[in-house]
Amino acid sequence: MRPIGFSTGALAYADFRQGLILARSAGCTIVELSALREPELAPMLDALDDLDLGGFRYVSIHAPSKIEPENEALVAERLRRLLTRGWPIVVHPDAIRDFSLWREFGALLCIENMDKRKPIGRTAKELGLIFDQLPEASLCFDIGHARQVDTTMTEAYLILKEFGGRLGQVHISEVSTSSRHNPLSYASMMAFQEVAHRIPGSAPIILETPAADEVAMRGEIAKAREALPVEGDLAAQHGRPGLSPVRAV
Amino acid sequence: MQQDPSSLDQLEQRLGANWSNLREAKRLALEKQAQLREALVEFQSEDASIVVFGSLSREEFTEHSDLDWTLLIDGAADPQHVPLARKIKAAIKPIQGKEPGREGTFGTMAFSHELVHQIGGQNDTNKNTTLRLLLLLESCCVSRDEAYRRVIRNVLIRYLFEDRGLWSQSKHRVPRFLQNDFARYWRTIAVDFAFKQRDRGGEGWAIRNMKLRISRKLIYVSGLLGCFRCHLDFTPANWAALSTSKDREQLLVDYLGKVFEATPLEILSEMLLRFPHLAPASRVILDAYDGFVGVLADGDKRERLEQLTEDEANSDEVYQTTRRLSHAFRDGLLGLFFDQESGLDDLTKNYGVF
Repeated sequence: MRPIGFSTGALAYADFRQGLILARSAGCTIVELSALREPELAPMLDALDDLDLGGFRYVSIHAPSKIEPENEALVAERLRRLLTRGWPIVVHPDAIRDFSLWREFGALLCIENMDKRKPIGRTAKELGLIFDQLPEASLCFDIGHARQVDTTMTEAYLILKEFGGRLGQVHISEVSTSSRHNPLSYASMMAFQEVAHRIPGSAPIILETPAADEVAMRGEIAKAREALPVEGDLAAQHGRPGLSPVRAV
Repeated sequence: MQQDPSSLDQLEQRLGANWSNLREAKRLALEKQAQLREALVEFQSEDASIVVFGSLSREEFTEHSDLDWTLLIDGAADPQHVPLARKIKAAIKPIQGKEPGREGTFGTMAFSHELVHQIGGQNDTNKNTTLRLLLLLESCCVSRDEAYRRVIRNVLIRYLFEDRGLWSQSKHRVPRFLQNDFARYWRTIAVDFAFKQRDRGGEGWAIRNMKLRISRKLIYVSGLLGCFRCHLDFTPANWAALSTSKDREQLLVDYLGKVFEATPLEILSEMLLRFPHLAPASRVILDAYDGFVGVLADGDKRERLEQLTEDEANSDEVYQTTRRLSHAFRDGLLGLFFDQESGLDDLTKNYGVF
């Protein structure tokens, strides 16, 4: 069964503690601690030593999505202190200006593919330019972003084909035309099934869908499982993989 | 970097032919496309592509050709699309010779929703069918192409993955849903020829007749051959492997998308190059086509065809010469499509006839 958890940022705005409580309540064993805005980073890092992470077998950190250029060295330095923990650190490629600050993160630097608002990092080709600069970095594959950029799922396919070997974790949600992360819809689930076979069953799947309570969270986890079926579970799915090349219409 | 010679160039060389009209038309088309790309650069968007059709996209442009274009939108509806289309129209005006056709299919906006979802049924209007199939058969993007490529892929996904027969273990590997729509479109053009003849009181009859017999026929030919290539390019074993591959959607759509990226003349020439024994038919077909483009490039002859009435046609030299080219074109194509050695006759009978 795929390991599926939540981003604390999706569960509680700018409140990783509350997010963690909610994630645990839904039985998640993997979690992403989110500091999406720069001012959230220092308090979160300062709290890590005292944070109860019992029960979580996988933890990642989401770095601020926007880093002021004058703060980049400081942010990188703060995050570098986490390397001894072995936690992947998800970074948006457009937040990076000085690649040299990030190279020593090695595979723990997890570069996320971007949504269509961003000028870089959206397609396989654009990601290639980033990985040229950060040859050891891993990939945080945001399947919702990939679908927003290309509804035919061709870019999703190309990203996984090209960089699947670097895959560290997956972000999943439905990303609207205005780039909001929404709960998974039937249409997005069907689209995600197209490339599910290219995502190893062991890859951590982090939900970025909003969920107000435990029931909603469990619902999103179930939908993510259906959207990203693994070999062996296919017969239980209503989707096409493994069943027929003909589309369900 | 030197480009590989096109299939048409290779065929011309192999047959010792001289299709100078086609070469000139291609040169003019590429020049015009480049001009448009430059003029339209400020209207670029990821969600809307500017697409041209007709002789310009087929690379058969002449100084007298009209310029059909559309703003193809694949994104959220935006009231600004209307002023944007107007601005594009204004930017194209100094570059275009003639205005787009009077049917209102071109020179305006088109939305991906109708093109992808309305295939067949009451809502698949003549305009919608035309745009969808011309996108596949004779279109070229002169701006950012993300929207253009998405729409084409999504249309192909519908044709290929809602076609149960294609994926059953049948003798042929031809996408019949797609081929049927090409055939429907071809017959629609032919019926609309009669409609326009009545509607316009015979105005422009002769040139439309010749275009129907030659250039319109060519795009149907390229659609048919594109579909046949699925059978010819995949062995039964390759096809079986493809149909069980989890990447089949990407692989087949990518394959067929590339086939239809080529111009109709390139698709035809590529097929003719495969079968050296069809050299005589190849020569007849392309000599005739080159002659036809030569007529269209000649201002006086074109004007004559544009003004000619049905009553004058029998005694008109330009019309009769062009008509003979159309007969040669037809006869050459019959030689190709009913050729036994290549196996095309079998595909033609099964898909082109019944």
